[in-house]
Amino acid sequence: MRSRVLTTFAAIAGTSVLTLTGCTGGGTPAKAPAADAAAKPDYSGTLSILTKFAGEPLEPYFEKVAADYEKAHPGVKVELIQETDQSIKDKTKTLTASNALPDIYFTWTGNWAENFIRGGRAADLTDVIGPDTPWGKTFGKGSLSAFAYDGKYYGIPLYNNGKFMGYDKPAFDKAGVKVPTTFEELISSCAPLRKAGYEPIAFGNKDGWPALHYLQQLFAYNVPPATLQADLKPETAKLDDPGYVTALKQFKTLVTQCTDTGTGTNGVLYSSAQEAFAGGKAAMYYQEILEFDNATAKGKLDPADFGIFPLPVPQGAKGDPATLEGAPEGYLINAASPRVPLAVDFMKFATNQENAKTLSAPPYGQPSTVIGAVTTDTSSKAVFEGIEAVNNAPRLAAWLDTVTVPEVADAWLAGGEALITGGKTPEQVLESVRQASASAK
Amino acid sequence: MPTIVKRALGLAWVLPALALVGVFVYFPLAENLGFSTLKWDIYSGSQEFVGLENYRKLVDDPVFWRSLGNNVMYAVVSIAFQVCGALVLAALIEGIRSQRWQRILRSIYFIPCAISLTVAGLLFYFIYEPNLGPLNHLLDAVGLGDLSRSWLGEESTAMPAIIAMSQWQGFGYSTLLFAVAIQRIPAEIYHAAALDGTGPVRRFFHVTVPLVREMTGLMMMVTISGAFQVFNEVMVMTGGGPDNSSQVLGTWLYRSGFVRNDFGYAAAIATVIFVITLAIAVAQLWVANRRRVEW
Repeated sequence: MRSRVLTTFAAIAGTSVLTLTGCTGGGTPAKAPAADAAAKPDYSGTLSILTKFAGEPLEPYFEKVAADYEKAHPGVKVELIQETDQSIKDKTKTLTASNALPDIYFTWTGNWAENFIRGGRAADLTDVIGPDTPWGKTFGKGSLSAFAYDGKYYGIPLYNNGKFMGYDKPAFDKAGVKVPTTFEELISSCAPLRKAGYEPIAFGNKDGWPALHYLQQLFAYNVPPATLQADLKPETAKLDDPGYVTALKQFKTLVTQCTDTGTGTNGVLYSSAQEAFAGGKAAMYYQEILEFDNATAKGKLDPADFGIFPLPVPQGAKGDPATLEGAPEGYLINAASPRVPLAVDFMKFATNQENAKTLSAPPYGQPSTVIGAVTTDTSSKAVFEGIEAVNNAPRLAAWLDTVTVPEVADAWLAGGEALITGGKTPEQVLESVRQASASAK
Repeated sequence: MPTIVKRALGLAWVLPALALVGVFVYFPLAENLGFSTLKWDIYSGSQEFVGLENYRKLVDDPVFWRSLGNNVMYAVVSIAFQVCGALVLAALIEGIRSQRWQRILRSIYFIPCAISLTVAGLLFYFIYEPNLGPLNHLLDAVGLGDLSRSWLGEESTAMPAIIAMSQWQGFGYSTLLFAVAIQRIPAEIYHAAALDGTGPVRRFFHVTVPLVREMTGLMMMVTISGAFQVFNEVMVMTGGGPDNSSQVLGTWLYRSGFVRNDFGYAAAIATVIFVITLAIAVAQLWVANRRRVEW
C-alpha cells in the first residue's frame, strides 16, 4: 500500500508539474548594461527577431528584409520568430520570464513598453534614434515620442495605426444611408441597413479586446482627457467620471441595435466579423488601418467601394471629440543583447525608405512611420486617408488593453464581455474596474 | 552475491531514474512552492518575499472560487459519463455476440479520442458558433430555434458547452479501457450466473461492476485528476470568458501569470491544483485497495 501511494505521488507529481512548471523559469534580474547603440556593428553572428507578422499576408515582409540584409552582410544570419497578434503576448512574457528575449522584439506603446523599459530590458537608443539624429529625423515626431520615457528614446516605430469604421459604400447607397456624423446617427442608420439585407455592424468579441477598442474611443469622447489619463494609472485613478457609464451605455446600445448576434457576440471571432464585412454580408466593421487592405483583398469588396470614418462623436459628449484611437507599433532592442549595434543596423535597414514604402503598400498595408513612405502612389486610398487622419489628430488614445496595467486591462476585458451578455450593468462594470485598479496600487 | 551488494546494485539501477525525476519533477515542484511566496516582477526580475499573502488572496478571489467550482462540475460530469456511462457502454458492447461488431463499435467510440484536444476544441468552437455553427442550424431545422444561442458567448452555457465537448472526446477511451477490463473476467463466472437464472442487469451489477472495481477506481482517479488539470479545451474555446464564467484553475493560473503578470499568485494556484490532485489520488488508491476483489 505504502509503495503504491508513493508511486501515485510520483505519478501525480509528474502530471501536476506540467502545470506547475508553467510558472517556473528565470528570475534573475536583467540589469541593462550600458550598451553603446551607436558603436560600429560587427557584421557576424546570428541576430534574433520576434515579430508580430506571422501568417499571410504579413509574414513574407520580414522574410524578405532578412534575406536582403543577409545578402548585404554575408556574415550575419537573421533568425525570425514570427508570432500573431494574440500569441505574441504570451511568447514575449515567457521569453522575458526565462531571460531569453531575442535581440529585437515587438512592442506596443503604453504600459506594455513601459514594463520592458522600467525592467531594464530595452536598450536606450537616444543616441541613434533621438529626434535630432539622422535616423530619428526620418520618423514622424509623434511616433518617436510614443516610445519615449523620461526623456530617453527606446523604441523603433515601424508603422502607425488607428481605428476607423470601415463601410461598404454600395450597402449605404442601397439602404439610403449617409455617412453618420454623430453617434446617434450611426445607431439610427442600423435599421435601414438591416432592412436592406445587411448586418449593420459586424462584430466579434471572442478575444475580448474588440469591445475595448470601442470603449476606449467612447471614453475619449465622453471623459475629459486629463481625467482619462489620470485614471489609467492606479496611483492616480478615481474612475468616477460619469462619462464612463455614459460610454458603456452607448456601447451596449450599439451592440444591441447594430449587430445581428447582439448579446451573443462574445462567441464570435473578430476574424469572422472581418470576413462578414469583406464578404459583403455586413455594412460596417470597426477596424484598424492595418486591416484595411485585408478587407478588400479577397475581391468581393472593391477598394473603390470601401470607405472609412472615425467612430462618430456622441452629441453633448464631455470629452475630447478630436481624439482618435490609435498608436504606433514598433520594436525594442534587448538591452542584454551582445549585438545591440548590429540590431540597430538591422532596424535602420528595415526602416529605410525603400522597405518603408514596401511595408506601406499592398499586400502588407502597414502604414510606415517613416516620413514620405505613405503616399497615394504607395498605399491604398483608405490607408492613406487613415494615416493622414492619425497624423493630424491632436491626441491619440492608445489601446485600452495595453495602455493601462494588466489587472485593470483584464477587468475592462471581463467587464466588456459582461456588458455585452447583460451579466453586468455599466455601473457594475465600472465598479469592478475600480476595484481592480485599487488592488493594483 | 551478498544481499547488501544486491541491494546496492539494485539502487544503482534506479539512481539515474531517481535523478531525472528529482531534477524534472520534484525540484520544479519545490521551486514552485517557493515562487508562491513571492511577489515576482518578470520585467525587472525583482522577487519580494510575501509569505502566505498569495494564498490569502486566493480566499478573497471570486474568480478562483468560480474556477474551482467549474473544475468540480467538470469532475462530476466526467465521472457520470466517462466512468459510469463508459462502463455501461462497455458492458453493452462486450455483451454483443458478434466479435466483428464489437470491434467496429469499439473503434467508432474510440475515434474521437484520437483527435487532439486542441483540434477538438476548434472543431466544437465552429459547431457552437452562433451565426454559422451547425448546432444552431440543426435546432432551427427541427423546430427548436428558440434554444439557439451563442453557446460559448454566454455565461450560463459556456462551461457546459466545453464540458460536453470533453465528454465526447474522452468517452471512447474510458469505454475501451472498461472493455479490456471486462474481457479479463472469466467467462465461467457469467455462465454460472446465467445458470443461476440472473438476467443481464443483475449480472452487470453483481458480476461486472465488482470485478472491474480496480479499473473503476483507476478511471475515477484519472478522470478527477484530469478534471482539475483541464486547460487546452477551455483556452481554445473561450479563453475562460465571457466575464471569467468558464475559467478553470488551469486557465486562471495561466491568466494570472501570463496576462496579469502576477506569477507568484499563479504559483499559488498551481500549488492548490497539486494538493487537490494528490489528495484525490491517494484517497482513490486507498479505497480501491481496500475493496479489491481477487479471483
